[in-house]
Amino acid sequence: MRNKSVISEARQIDLAVELIRLGARLAVLEAETNLSRERLLKLYKEVMGKSPPKGMLPYSTDWFMSWRPNIHSSLFIDTFRYLCAHAGIHGVEAIIKAYQLYLEHITIHRMERVLSLTRAWSLVRFFDAKMLTTIPCTKCHGHFVVHRLDLNRDYVCGMCDMPSRAGQTKKIVEAAVAALPRHVLSPSNTHERPRKQVPMPA
Amino acid sequence: MSREQLINEIQEANLSYLLLAQQMIRLDRAAAIFRLGVSDEVARILDQLSPGQILKMAASNMLLCRFRFDDGMILGLLTDHGKEKPLMQSHAAVLMAGQPAAGLA
Repeated sequence: MRNKSVISEARQIDLAVELIRLGARLAVLEAETNLSRERLLKLYKEVMGKSPPKGMLPYSTDWFMSWRPNIHSSLFIDTFRYLCAHAGIHGVEAIIKAYQLYLEHITIHRMERVLSLTRAWSLVRFFDAKMLTTIPCTKCHGHFVVHRLDLNRDYVCGMCDMPSRAGQTKKIVEAAVAALPRHVLSPSNTHERPRKQVPMPA
Repeated sequence: MSREQLINEIQEANLSYLLLAQQMIRLDRAAAIFRLGVSDEVARILDQLSPGQILKMAASNMLLCRFRFDDGMILGLLTDHGKEKPLMQSHAAVLMAGQPAAGLA
């Protein structure tokens, strides 16, 4: 689609820049603005200083079911729905606003940015396509993301009923191991041999 | 705290609450509605209050902002200092986002 109005094109560019800053992939930009692919590519390079990542968008709905992503995406979608219901904003505008509020939350509490804007955008698409929905937890009554066609009677959320190894990702465990004093790991390594001095070239 | 002092403190809290709420709404309406937990209607009223009206409203012996945690669960999550603090905060945030907005009757 060609833009006729300069003002509407300026608005579209503003929107695209905002999305790029928040970390949107090219496919998201193409779906949410009516700027041409070439212009979006140029814009992306100008804003981020590098070419956009190539390849397909993450398309799995299962990602949203694993423990940590489920918490983050439930927080995002609840915020998004609140904004749609009470603040009178919709679509991509509400996605951007909800994502900014989500980023605020994780910055305040020094959490990892688990949900990318692209994932958040696809989450909303999955909701629109009626593949995912939210269901109230029977213990805390918070709303959490679930597969629409799963059997969810007596649903209990991942935070009321924490799995025993919740959050023990490889990265976190490795960091914890690295933080341990060396003699705890292997007693034989406590006395490290001094390295040979390599003579410096003259 | 004497009675006079108490009323002064209440009025001061009222004034800063109303001024902050109005500033939030003027700065970013949608985010303010989320943060304040009020409906669009209430936000419009707050937005349109004149400084004189704000002063009159603040000069009351009642506190104008209400305690939002009528759910004991959220209160527990926010005040408990377990080992997974960010997690508790996220849990509370999910519950807060699911609460209805305060509107006009």
